[in-house]
Amino acid sequence: MIFLALLDIDALLKSIEASALATKIRDSLFLFPLIESTHVFGLALVFGTIVVIDLRLLGIASSKRPFRRVASDIFKWTWAAFALTAFTGTLMFTTNARVYYHNVFFRTKMLLLLLTGINMLVFELTAGRMIHRWDKSPSAPPVGKAVAVLSLAMWISIICMGRIIGFTTSRETLVVQPPPGINFDDFLQATPPNSGPTSTPPPLKN
Amino acid sequence: LNHFAEWLSTTFLSVYIQNHNGWVIPAIQSVHIVGIGVVLGSVFMIYFRILGWAGMDQTLRQTTTRFGPWFTGGLCLMLVTGVLMVIGEPVRELVTFSFWAKMFLIAVSTVMVIIFQTTLRKREKLWEETLINRRHIKWTATLVFLLWACIILLGRLIAYDHVWGPWSPAKKA
Repeated sequence: MIFLALLDIDALLKSIEASALATKIRDSLFLFPLIESTHVFGLALVFGTIVVIDLRLLGIASSKRPFRRVASDIFKWTWAAFALTAFTGTLMFTTNARVYYHNVFFRTKMLLLLLTGINMLVFELTAGRMIHRWDKSPSAPPVGKAVAVLSLAMWISIICMGRIIGFTTSRETLVVQPPPGINFDDFLQATPPNSGPTSTPPPLKN
Repeated sequence: LNHFAEWLSTTFLSVYIQNHNGWVIPAIQSVHIVGIGVVLGSVFMIYFRILGWAGMDQTLRQTTTRFGPWFTGGLCLMLVTGVLMVIGEPVRELVTFSFWAKMFLIAVSTVMVIIFQTTLRKREKLWEETLINRRHIKWTATLVFLLWACIILLGRLIAYDHVWGPWSPAKKA
């Protein structure tokens, strides 16, 4: 199945878009805005709590508290908020999978997310290994500080990318031009009979 | 209000933002979101200290001293970028239900935060020893945190004001 997906990613994306869930979100006037708002709430919490940890590493704030204490207080909530953000993000992706997939800002954002993961791994393997040596000192060793600076820079970039995605994934490319000579007001004024479940993408707002 | 919004959209700064629409508005919005991250993070840390779920090695006063200035700073950043967004797109912002509901909630929660901070400063001992253990204080803190969550949701819904149906003053596209 995965091998098949690799062969024909566009077909896979198309089937994601056609799924019942994606269709339901697209057809609803409320779901997409609600999901997107929840996404912003989640990412605010992810970013806000990560800043606390990064500033502790840099020795700018909370520097009198042991690092492990600051981190253990917060990190589980960062992950919970990240789960919420990833979940709502995935839901948004399904509604217009092909457009997001081919969007350069979306791709950059995914790459940056991957890099923040690697950044965290680097921290665990370096400064994290000798944490007992600097846990109580006001700031982390140089490698820890570098990780913190990178983390802050990448998360701010992720926020910027996320916002630009909203401005660059206009669905106009998917709209089929109407044949000439059709007056759309005729459709808008009266409900056409037999109006089955049509799935037109909701207008994407910025 | 419509007239005010239309007048505002003809001012110099507004015209500048509109003309550089491609990157200025996404940039301002991104800074605004960074700001809300700082604000929500700070509210969250103080809220969890009140619940007793985080920062228990610190007193309540130490926690507010640590996060209070970041809260205020983040709020100022949001005010500046928020005003810029209103100047840049007055009609989109002002002629919505979401915007005014958001402003109302910001006013309410800011007053509650100020009351909390001044009473904590005046009666530190009472707060640290008694009030923090009171159930109604924990519920009030929960309410303030939820208010901030609603503020974020409403902020995003400015772009989707149609969700309010007849409550939305926005003209149908």
